[in-house]
Amino acid sequence: MTVWKLETEALRKEYPGTVALDDVSIQWEAGKVHALLGKNGAGKSTLVKILAGAITPTSGRILLDGAEVRIANPAEAFAQGIVTVHQELSLVPELSVAENILLGRLPMRKKLGVSVVDWPAAFEQARAVLDEMEVSLDVRRPTRSFGVADQQIIEIAKAMSFRPRVLALDEPTSALAHHETQHLFRLIRQLTARGVTVIYISHRLQELKHIADTITVLRDGRLAGRVEMADATPDTIARLLFGEVMRNNRPDDLKCEETAVFEVRHIGLKDHLFDVNFTLRRGEILGIAGMLGSGRTELLKALFGAEPFDEGEVRVGDETITAPTPARMKALGLAFTPEDRKSEALVQPLSIRQNLCMAAMERIAPTGLISRSREKPFVDEQVAGLQILISSAERPVASLSGGNQQKVVVGNWLNNQPRIVLFDEPTRGIDVQAKQQIFKIMWDLSRQGVSAIFVSSELEELLEVCHRILVLKRGRIGGEVDPAACDFNRLFALCLED
Amino acid sequence: MKRTLGWISAAGMELILLALCVVLALTAPGFSKPENLLDILRNVSMQGIIAFGMTMVIISGEIDLSVGSAVAFSACFTAWSLRALLALGWSSAVAAPLVMALAVVIGFGVGSFTGLMRTRFQVPSFITTLALMTGLSGAAFLITDGRPIVIEPQWFGFLGAGYLGGVLPFPAVLFLLMFGVFHFVMNYTRFGRSVYAIGGNAEAARLSGIPVNRIRILTLGITSALAALSGILAASQGGAGGPTAGKQWEMDVIAAVIIGGTSLSGGSGRIWGTLIGVVFLGVILNGLTLLNVNEYWQLTVRGALILTAVLINRLHRPAA
Repeated sequence: MTVWKLETEALRKEYPGTVALDDVSIQWEAGKVHALLGKNGAGKSTLVKILAGAITPTSGRILLDGAEVRIANPAEAFAQGIVTVHQELSLVPELSVAENILLGRLPMRKKLGVSVVDWPAAFEQARAVLDEMEVSLDVRRPTRSFGVADQQIIEIAKAMSFRPRVLALDEPTSALAHHETQHLFRLIRQLTARGVTVIYISHRLQELKHIADTITVLRDGRLAGRVEMADATPDTIARLLFGEVMRNNRPDDLKCEETAVFEVRHIGLKDHLFDVNFTLRRGEILGIAGMLGSGRTELLKALFGAEPFDEGEVRVGDETITAPTPARMKALGLAFTPEDRKSEALVQPLSIRQNLCMAAMERIAPTGLISRSREKPFVDEQVAGLQILISSAERPVASLSGGNQQKVVVGNWLNNQPRIVLFDEPTRGIDVQAKQQIFKIMWDLSRQGVSAIFVSSELEELLEVCHRILVLKRGRIGGEVDPAACDFNRLFALCLED
Repeated sequence: MKRTLGWISAAGMELILLALCVVLALTAPGFSKPENLLDILRNVSMQGIIAFGMTMVIISGEIDLSVGSAVAFSACFTAWSLRALLALGWSSAVAAPLVMALAVVIGFGVGSFTGLMRTRFQVPSFITTLALMTGLSGAAFLITDGRPIVIEPQWFGFLGAGYLGGVLPFPAVLFLLMFGVFHFVMNYTRFGRSVYAIGGNAEAARLSGIPVNRIRILTLGITSALAALSGILAASQGGAGGPTAGKQWEMDVIAAVIIGGTSLSGGSGRIWGTLIGVVFLGVILNGLTLLNVNEYWQLTVRGALILTAVLINRLHRPAA
């Protein structure tokens, strides 16, 4: 009988109202890199948090080397040799590398009867950890003086100082450049050569073939399946990630006119976007597909002037713009619903009414004077039109569900009667029914001649909603797709291709 | 029933003020006489005028520590330049309005400077106004050489010490007028709504096309202008402009705003609450004086009462 390095047996985690993880049984071999994949909300981070002792499972067991272990808190996880490097680095920037690596465990000595830090020993210990990883960094320097890549390495060194038997890395490359990623990979291979089991979470599917030995996929909190990397094709990964993809509900009267309303010419943004060109037609819903880090969000922000492009120009009607600002683009009939509702779109202390009347304030109060009676028709129109479920528009916007909050974000802009709406991940974190309602809003707008640019990481959504899809790769337009003549796997493969 | 309870908890500070007044009316001799009540209003009016601006600044997520020194600077500038112009043979009827207008404009300029530092160079308003607090105070000493400058024309004293119709203290009338103006601006104008939006989520406001920078500069400018106005009133009331006018007012003003329920983290607060906060501080001072509490005890008791009031208010209100 094989003894697995790490096993989970029927793990289940319930939260009030939802099951985050359900009947997850996985075996991980020693000395290999195991990729753990899944869409947002699939349960990856719940699983990793359970292994790290940050949360406890509702039921199920964890076995290490064939023996059951209990991990009730992070300290017990460390004691078992399970160490996790989370996506957000946990380094203290002002402290030296050595202090960060040995945080909370600095060697002490007695001096005049008082316990003080034994600095020579601390630097020596830290250096030993780095030497073992064949990295040379000055352990006395403050951590903030290093770049993100080196900080990532320091974070891993800190993990290594616990002598882990299992190391979980959550999105370790999300902030790294290509050559830095290569260095990290070499480091990971050293670890596996020494028998460490690595669990590797990443959204960058392209890099997996360079580092992973096996792929484990979670979907909706359940184990969707696992394959050896050698046997994995984009097709199999897509099927595991997304299940059977259906394209339904798409209305058959979706048409758009030939008139160009928005022309993007040679747009560039340092390090993010390169020579992007396209034309948006009246009533068209243009999808932007691309992997994480392809520049999707940057593109929308650049076009709207939130983080303006530094090369090229856009044309709206007769106007040519080279230095956009949100106020300017708004005046030209653009609208932008940002990816992060909470931090970029809604003003939490204000009411639903006030949040619905922000972008269109000039329209609602042309004289500068604002009042509830003036706002009422605008609030009522959006609440009814978008079917926003509220008990009263005077309630704080924070009291709404994700889907209804998103509708408030959209309604805020619709009050300004935009001609072009830029949607950045409008369906993130909202339920299926709310998603369909958002799609319906987009289709209705299209019928009224309002154009849209729709960024989504959910490719099946793009295929369902759009007239046309552009594939963005590393900041460049890498292809154009007609949703009617394309299926999910083909689009997914297009996004993945180098 | 539920609605009544909701009203009581929303009116937390108002009830605390009412309770304080009832206690003082029963214990402090002469507290409830109309002249005393008007006197309270007169005494709080100068800080109160600034407090309305400060409310706006704090709602927008900023702070202004320089208002006390701005009062001193404005008082000294007014007295000094008035004396200079009168010495040149100007008539006071021309010189005084000109000097007052100039003081207010300079005040606005100083606040706008803070705003520019904030929007252009990302210097927190806390830092800039901390520097201005020292700098403006120094400038006030330089102008006056450390001694108050007497203001000659008798009629000038009306602004700070006069009574409308022989009954209503002029500064108190101005204070209530300012309350009306700022209450209106914050609740019924695009500008006011933008201030709330910026304080609640500046990025969301910016992405909604709200002119965030312009509004930050305006709120800070207006508040400094109010401090300058207050300085003119102080100079008028004392008959002289001295460099110690407005000393540590910034603390009283900020305390009044906080007591009034405005959140230091920005995005929420009411002008009405600040009115209550200002009057609350005035009532404490007046009551303790009437009760013959000595000055050192007054300071201590005042500190304790401020904290107690805010605490009761917090516990009373469900966490947002």
